[in-house]
Amino acid sequence: MKKCQFCGKPATVHLTQVINSEMQNVDLCDECAAKHGLFEQSGSPLSVLAALGEAMFGTTNQNLAVNGLICSNCGCTPTIFKESGRLGCENCYKDLRPLIEKIIENSQKGVKHLGKQLANCTSEGNGNAEREAPAPQKHICKNHKCACKHDHKHDLGSLKSELERAIAEERYEDAAVLRDKIKKYSN
Amino acid sequence: MNELRKVLFRDDQETTSMPIVISSRIRLARNLKGYKFPRHSTRMELSRVAETCKSILLGCKLLKDPKIFAIDSLSATERCALVEAHLCSIELSKSEFGAGLLVANGNSSAVMFNEEDHLRLQIFRQDLDFKTMWLRISEFDDYIAHSTNIAYDANFGFLTSCPTNVGTGMRSSVMLHLPGLVITSQVNVVINAVQKLGFVVRGLFGEGTSASGSIFQISNQYTLGLSEIDIISRLYQVIISVIANEELARKWLLKNKSLAVCDNIGRSFGALSWSHTMGSEEAISHLSNMRLAVDYGFLPQAWRAGLDCLLVNVQPSHIQLANDKQLSTEERNIQRATAIRKFFEKMPSLKF
Repeated sequence: MKKCQFCGKPATVHLTQVINSEMQNVDLCDECAAKHGLFEQSGSPLSVLAALGEAMFGTTNQNLAVNGLICSNCGCTPTIFKESGRLGCENCYKDLRPLIEKIIENSQKGVKHLGKQLANCTSEGNGNAEREAPAPQKHICKNHKCACKHDHKHDLGSLKSELERAIAEERYEDAAVLRDKIKKYSN
Repeated sequence: MNELRKVLFRDDQETTSMPIVISSRIRLARNLKGYKFPRHSTRMELSRVAETCKSILLGCKLLKDPKIFAIDSLSATERCALVEAHLCSIELSKSEFGAGLLVANGNSSAVMFNEEDHLRLQIFRQDLDFKTMWLRISEFDDYIAHSTNIAYDANFGFLTSCPTNVGTGMRSSVMLHLPGLVITSQVNVVINAVQKLGFVVRGLFGEGTSASGSIFQISNQYTLGLSEIDIISRLYQVIISVIANEELARKWLLKNKSLAVCDNIGRSFGALSWSHTMGSEEAISHLSNMRLAVDYGFLPQAWRAGLDCLLVNVQPSHIQLANDKQLSTEERNIQRATAIRKFFEKMPSLKF
């Protein structure tokens, strides 16, 4: 079975398009097809194909264009990840960080874990295991060196996507608040 | 009867069921610290992880009557049957050395090990009680974290083989029966809206949006940047809204298209009661109409859980295993119709 060219899961949607007289195939799983608007009624199939083509083959293929990275523990590289759709080990999150950040930016709601902390799970543990340190309480914004809760750069990215979503859903009051926040952070 | 058949064909079948909602699930992906992720592991590493996972899981008091299956010891039919029963993913069913499945608590808990991640904990229910599900799976997760070191990063949260699962590592999903929205051609509008809110919609058996039996699965897309409670609350809100739309569509159909609705249900009842050969697609479609009939009150509510169970038991690999021999498609269709007729012998007549 062919694999999704975005995430490596089994592909269920197969598209063919011709770029510069050459036939190119795009294989996607349901999830990524949905993510790229393939099932949306409003988007024409052509525009979807164009967007996918650009993402997969175009000159602006910046999605996974992070070269020269290699995991010092398992040897995983961006190319291996692109082929298999899977990282090799936990250390890949450190050594392939630029790649990971791009993927997360494209596929997740935010860049910071807000869920259950491992330290809380293990607080009643036997204490003989090496544990991850809990998240630091004080955070200094990397970009503006202020003591706000998040990095502004990251905030801007998520705020912009939230703004787009609010506009798409016609939540104009929310959109106005988001627009003001973006303006404030941009300054 | 071997252990796998006991799991697939349980004597104590579920008796709880509710209209529109077929089942809910929470899944947590976890990896052991210090081991490569399964798809990049050697046989020796897979073997070590499998042994560690098994010993941790078998020592867990939260898992009652646990049964462990090594995937490479199962036949292709047995693997497919586990997928049909929604206990195991397609990816795990295709795995070989070191991959395994644990099923416990009367099939309401399952753990896949050495699938895409070292551990995937799953909890199932037949209703929308996500609070109870979360408390149970979180307690189970705490036990795992107490028992071994887990791959975790203060920024990225629980580290997973695919960055699309990182953070909470949580997928919560609900399987919904939406014939009203399908018949009134509104389902694509609803799917579109749900997707824009950051949720993924799939058909029951992976055929895309025109799902067999009008059954759809809705799950969260984001796992990072939201807490588990946020993910569950958002999913719950979305599901409640989809249910409200489905209820409206059903009311509209009964008011404006009652002849067509009753005719469809009546024909399905006849086909299920009297057919001598039936393909699985046709069976799913008729059984979907019967679930609708129960929800409309044309059949007693007590039969809904049995219909849900039959929906799984008429799948090709279940038919094959129930008959304990290799069957051709034609033979399967005959056996399927026979099993359905037997079920419908006891079914009271429709009351429109």
